[in-house]
Amino acid sequence: MSGLQPGVWYAIAAEHDLPKDHVYRTMLGGHELAAWRSTDGAVHVWEDRCPHRGVRFSLGEVVGDELRCQYHAWRFGKTGACTFIPAQPDLKVPRTIHAAVWPVALSAGLVWSGIEPTGAPPELPPGAVLRAIPIARAAASVAHALVKEPLSGLALVLQPLDETATIVRGIALDDDLVRADHALLALRRRLEQAA
Amino acid sequence: MTPVDPILWNDWHPVAARCMLDPARAHETMLLGVPLVVTINADGTIAVQRVDHAAPHQDERYGLVWVCLGTPTREILPIPEADEPDRPIVVVGSVGVRASGPRVIENFLDLGHLGYVHARYLGDDPHTRVLPYTVEPLPEGGIIATQCKMFQPQASPAATEGFMVDYIYKVERPLATCLYKANPVQRDRFDIIFLIVQPVTEETSIAHPLLLCLPDGTTPAALRAFQQTIFMQDKPILENQVPKRLPLADGAELPIAADKSSVAYRRWLSAIGLTWGVIRADEKARAA
Amino acid sequence: MILYDAHHLAPCYAVRLLAGCLGVTLELEPLDVYPGHANQTEAFLALNPLGTLPVLVDGPCIITDWLEALAHLALTHDRAWFPAEHAALIGWLGMARDLGASAGAARLIDTFGAPGDAAAARAQANALLDEVERRLWFSERGFGERIGQDWLIEGPHPSIADLACFVFIAPCEDGGLSLRDRPALRRWCDRVRFLPGFVSMSGVFPPMANTGR
Repeated sequence: MSGLQPGVWYAIAAEHDLPKDHVYRTMLGGHELAAWRSTDGAVHVWEDRCPHRGVRFSLGEVVGDELRCQYHAWRFGKTGACTFIPAQPDLKVPRTIHAAVWPVALSAGLVWSGIEPTGAPPELPPGAVLRAIPIARAAASVAHALVKEPLSGLALVLQPLDETATIVRGIALDDDLVRADHALLALRRRLEQAA
Repeated sequence: MTPVDPILWNDWHPVAARCMLDPARAHETMLLGVPLVVTINADGTIAVQRVDHAAPHQDERYGLVWVCLGTPTREILPIPEADEPDRPIVVVGSVGVRASGPRVIENFLDLGHLGYVHARYLGDDPHTRVLPYTVEPLPEGGIIATQCKMFQPQASPAATEGFMVDYIYKVERPLATCLYKANPVQRDRFDIIFLIVQPVTEETSIAHPLLLCLPDGTTPAALRAFQQTIFMQDKPILENQVPKRLPLADGAELPIAADKSSVAYRRWLSAIGLTWGVIRADEKARAA
Repeated sequence: MILYDAHHLAPCYAVRLLAGCLGVTLELEPLDVYPGHANQTEAFLALNPLGTLPVLVDGPCIITDWLEALAHLALTHDRAWFPAEHAALIGWLGMARDLGASAGAARLIDTFGAPGDAAAARAQANALLDEVERRLWFSERGFGERIGQDWLIEGPHPSIADLACFVFIAPCEDGGLSLRDRPALRRWCDRVRFLPGFVSMSGVFPPMANTGR
C-alpha cells in the first residue's frame, strides 16, 4: 500500500505546525498520522486512529500531556499508552490499549518520521522553513519536474501522502518566503494542469 | 460486477421521506449503488424509478418511501407502536453521512459517547460511567440491550431537570435500530426513536430517524430540531472512523465491557453473513 | 433581542457565536427549516421577503442580512470586533459570503439534500480554502516587521471576519472538503474554539469538558 521506503526519514510537518494544545494531521505513504507536542516540547507521532473504534486522534484534543479521543474521551499519555477510560473509571487500563507510535526526529525546523528509519534525517542548509505545498500528483512526478526545472534558492524534500498526492517542504536559502511560495504555487499549477 | 449482498438486496430500505419531496423537483438518490429517482405528483402520488430498468418494489410506510431492489424476503420493518393512537410519527429529516451503514447503527447503540459527543444533551461529565447492562439475541434475529442507564441533563426538549434515564435498544434488521427511552413526564412509558439507514454505497449512507414519542407539549418542530442536533454531533465522529467499513474480526478494534451492544451487533452481522459495509473476519484487507 | 434561528445553518451560528463571545443574550426563535420549510410561511416572509435566516430583531431594527447582524452586534457591544480602520474587513466579509456559497452550499447539499451541484461547490470552495490557508499562514509566520498574528485581520483581537469565515470552514468536512493539508486553518479553528464565550453548532466540537480551559 505504501510505496514508502523503509529506513528513510520523511519530513511530515514543520516544527511550527505543532503549537501547544493542538493535534496536527497528515498522511505518509497512505498511512494517516497525528502529531502533537507534550508540555516538555517533545513531539509525538502516532497512527491517526484511536484503537477503540478507529476515530482519528486528530479530531481529538491535547490537554497537557495527554491526547483525548473525541469519541469516548479515552486519554492517551506521551508514550502512547491509554491512561483513562471514562466509561469505566475504575478500570486499570490494560497495556494492550495504546496508540500505534511512529518514530520521530526533529531537524532543520522540520518533523521527520518513517518506517524503521535509520541514521539521522537528511541535513538541510540554513534558511527559513517554507510553507508546505500539497500537489495532487505522485511524488515521482513532482521529483521529475524538479529535476527538469530546478527551483533556485530552495532546498526541497518531498512527503508522499499517497499514490496520488505529495507535499513539498523545505527551506528558502535567502529567507524570502513569499518568492518561494510563488515558485511552489507555480510548480503546482504546472503539474496539476498538465494531463 | 460482483452481486450486491443478497441480505440487503432482498430487503426493504427507506430512500426518501414524503415530507422532503417536492412536485417541482425530482429527488435523485442511490440505494446499494443503484441510482434511483423519486418523484411526487401534485396529487401526492409517489413513484420510484430506476434508469434503464423496471421500477423496483416500492411502498410507503411511516412517512418514508421504501424500496426493495431484489425480491423481498420479508415485509417492511414492522413498527407496532406506530398504530398506537396517541403516538404521532415525526419524520426527523434525512441526513447524509460519509460512513458505512453498520458504523451508523453501531454508533446509535453506544452509551459511552453520550456524555462527550452529546455533552449537556444526553449525558455529561462526570456522569459518564457506563453501568453494566444486558444484551441478548432476539428470537427473530437481531439483538436487544436492556437495563441501560445513563444520567442525562436534558434527555429531551420537555425535560426540565436531569435524571437517570432507562434505555432499551433493539436491532431487528442489519440497518435498522431503535431505542426505547423512559418518557420524562410519564416515567412508566417509553418514547421510541428509530434509526433506519439507507445504504447508498458501502461507505456512505443516509440516516432516516423517526420519532414515536408520547405527546407532552413538545412540538414536532422542536422534536426534530433536537434529534437533528444529536445526529449532526455524531456526523463528524462517524465520518472520521477508520476504516470506513465496520471490522467484524474480534480484536480488530478494542471493545471494553461498556461496548457489549457493539460486540453483539458485530457478531450478529458475522453470523448472518453480511458483506456490505463491513470487513469480514476472514477477509484480507481489500483496500480498507 | 430576538434571533429567528435554525441551529444547523451557519449564518445563524455566526450570530449566536458572536453573541456568545460578547456575552450577549439572544432570545432564540427556532424555525423548522428542514424539512418543515417554516422560513417559507406567509408570516416569516412578511418579516423577511427573502425567506433567509437568521433575522435579528433589536427593538425597532429588523436585520435580515447575517453579516449586517454581526456588524450591528459588534458596533453596539464591543467595537474591538469591528476593526473599521482596516479595508481588509470588507474583503474578508466578502470571502465569508463566497465560502457560504461554496463550502456552505456543499455542506447543505450533502447533509440535507439541498438542491445544487456539490462537486462544483467543492471545487470553488477548495480554491478559496487554499487562499485563506495561504494568507493565514503568512499572518502567523509573520514576515518583515510584522509579528505572528492569530486572526484574519491584523491586530491582537479577533473580528467578525474570523467568525463569519469560521462558521463555514470549521464544518466544511460535512460537505466533503478536507482540512487535512491545511494546517494553518486547523490551528486557527482551534484558536476560535478556545475563545472565551465560544458556543458550538452540532458538528463543531467545543473544547472538551474538564480541561481547565
